[in-house]
Amino acid sequence: MPWYSGDRGPMQLARAFGDVINDVQRVRRGWRWDTPRPRTWPEQGAVVPAPASDLGWARQEPVRTIRWLIQHGLLLPFTEAMAHPKVEGREWVTELERPVIFAANHSSHADTSLVLHALSDRARDRTVVAAAADYWYKRPLLGNLVGLFLNTFPFSRTGGAKEQLHSASRLLKAGWNLVFFAEGSRSPDGRIQEFKPGLGFLSNETGTPVVPLHIRGAHRIMPKGQKLPLPGPVRVRIGKPMTAQPKEGSREFTARVEQAVRALAEEPRQPELQGTWIERWRALKPREPEYLD
Amino acid sequence: MARPGAVIEVDRNTPPVLFHFGEGVRLEKLPLGARIVYPPDPLEPMTNPERAIKRALTKPLDDDPLKSLLRKGMKLTIAFDDLSLPLPPMAAPDVRQLVMEEVIDMAAEAGVEDIHLIAALGLHRRMTADEIRHIVGDRIFSTFWPDRLYQHDGEDPEANVYIGKTAEGEEVTLHKRATESDLVVYVNLTLVPMDGGHKSMSTGLASYRGIRAHHNVKTLLASRSYMNPPDSALHHSCVRQGQLIEDTVRVFHIETTVNNHAFPSIANFMQKRETDWTAQDQAMFLGMKQLTDLAPPAFKRNVFHAMRAPYGLTGVNAGQVDAVHEKTLEAVRNQIAVRVEGQTDVVTIGVPYLGPYNVNAPMNPVLVVCMGLGYLFNFYRNKPVLRKGGVAILTHPCRYEFDAVQHPSYIDFYDEVLADTTAPAEIEAKYELRFAEDPWFRQLYRKSNAYHGAHPFYAWYWAAHAMEHAGDIIIVGGDREVVHRLGFKCATTLEDAFEMAEQTVGRHPSVTHMRMPPILLADVE
Repeated sequence: MPWYSGDRGPMQLARAFGDVINDVQRVRRGWRWDTPRPRTWPEQGAVVPAPASDLGWARQEPVRTIRWLIQHGLLLPFTEAMAHPKVEGREWVTELERPVIFAANHSSHADTSLVLHALSDRARDRTVVAAAADYWYKRPLLGNLVGLFLNTFPFSRTGGAKEQLHSASRLLKAGWNLVFFAEGSRSPDGRIQEFKPGLGFLSNETGTPVVPLHIRGAHRIMPKGQKLPLPGPVRVRIGKPMTAQPKEGSREFTARVEQAVRALAEEPRQPELQGTWIERWRALKPREPEYLD
Repeated sequence: MARPGAVIEVDRNTPPVLFHFGEGVRLEKLPLGARIVYPPDPLEPMTNPERAIKRALTKPLDDDPLKSLLRKGMKLTIAFDDLSLPLPPMAAPDVRQLVMEEVIDMAAEAGVEDIHLIAALGLHRRMTADEIRHIVGDRIFSTFWPDRLYQHDGEDPEANVYIGKTAEGEEVTLHKRATESDLVVYVNLTLVPMDGGHKSMSTGLASYRGIRAHHNVKTLLASRSYMNPPDSALHHSCVRQGQLIEDTVRVFHIETTVNNHAFPSIANFMQKRETDWTAQDQAMFLGMKQLTDLAPPAFKRNVFHAMRAPYGLTGVNAGQVDAVHEKTLEAVRNQIAVRVEGQTDVVTIGVPYLGPYNVNAPMNPVLVVCMGLGYLFNFYRNKPVLRKGGVAILTHPCRYEFDAVQHPSYIDFYDEVLADTTAPAEIEAKYELRFAEDPWFRQLYRKSNAYHGAHPFYAWYWAAHAMEHAGDIIIVGGDREVVHRLGFKCATTLEDAFEMAEQTVGRHPSVTHMRMPPILLADVE
């Protein structure tokens, strides 16, 4: 007899609800969702291989619509309230005609939301974020949540170069923009660390331009080790898209992008990186209206 | 075909007439035989403004096409009018944006790298970034703000250059960047005949030193009126200064005119003659009247200042300043001129919520005088609608209400100067220089969003001609204490005001109501 048959009334309903809670608690304690892995458990492999699914569901409808609602109702207003980001060079990411890699410095968990905040709605909707598989995807619930909120996909930091980059290059070829923190992990002191050559490799392999970004102030909002963000001003400076020169290797190109990000950090505007006014003016040219027959 | 302006005589069937009353409206019954002067209906706007702008730039008047003046390696400066024009602010896109986008497109094509855009403020307040964005549009703002798109600062000793003196001894100063430029393109929007022409450069990019040459009591009393440049000493002075500027700098003028479609559909009844009001207009009036009667002033202000006017472009001319301005004035007169026969004993004017100097701010008492007796009274050609010694009746709540950010010097002007005297010449001699050189007002003008220390004086001088001309000035619905401080009389109702006026002009005076805005220019015969 089902619990809702009315045979035993509200007591039965309360019991059924209690059973569900017990089950959840039991599982939660059994696998310790929110505490480190117990020492008594056998050693885990150093590498967490990317799951077979690279969170493809997060890039499908209706998840995209749900994400749009979450971002516009929660994430972007929160970012705006906490950081009042001042964005320079938005013209380079307003009307993207082809996928690009956003290469930014990384000093805080707030960086991803700040980059997404700086993009136009159109560009943001077509942007995925490479998230460290060994950090974010250790706990499936957390991994799925960031996938839902930020459109991340697991990116292994420790595997072989080609395997690591395969999923990312597939996404680029499928028309997605990619947010890529080439330093590999958050800077402990806010200073820019050396960029890993995977960035240049990805760009060369897929022929995708790289848009250098510099985020100033995110380290003060949420430095490494801090659990909750604190409000503070942020400036996001976006440079014009860069492509590898003919015969330029991945390492050289990565070094050039790193140099560009470092230069963007400097105070006065950088016309060679941010573009002359004529280049920016042309980049902002409104899209010609498209009429359907 | 738009209807021309009209003068209607009030009879028993004439509906009550709309009076603007600051951030509110009133319907008043005028005495039988009174005249109501209505502005012409809005002219048909151009259907393709971009094409018209392109044509004006390619075929300028008495000048070379703009394209041929642009070359790589040159210094180009684009100056444009500030938010004091048009009123209410124009619904996006502003025509200045459309013009500037065409000019910048041409500059980009020619490879001009050194380009600056300057908001020609004169001694007006600095605009906020959002206000500038509204004028220039997103594309220009994103490309140039803040290093190449900025605002003129008339008190920056580094940024202003003394050019010389005119034959009449008027000093001329100009923004340094303009003097160093190979070409200055001035983008103007002319709403009333006072704007544009040589006045654009000679006041917009000048310092206090240059502006005081014509913004003074003597010049303004000799301007009858300054809404008609041929009869305006103010404009004669600006022309002399402008000619000196044109000798120093190569200037390419672009002037635009718009129709007088000043109110969006939600306030359509303000745009229409009362005889044209439909049931819907009457309902809208009633709704707005109740709202403005009940709502607190700050709320009403937000609602009114959020209105954007659906102005349509009626003309665009480019080239040599005199040739361009002649065409511009013709277009403006086509839109706002109304023939009025003879003068009147009593003129009534409803003062609206907005004037050129209180965009996004309350209209303080000094600005009420500037708007009612300065601008609205001076909308005439040949002679004033009011006879010499007649009575001007304004309607405005006229509260002691100032915006401390935009009008700090106005507060001191009201509290200190008007407490002493209301005579413009005496005020000028005694107080103007002290206010103009006050370091705190100077600081607020340069770094905050405040009008210059001398600005309240100019607002007061603007009304000097009306104050001298009228035998009596009555403000209906005003705060008694404030109105007395301004030196005028206060009445509770319009009927009371007419009764008070009879003491000055005698029994059964002729009455004329200027139904503004939308603006009109009375061509008095």
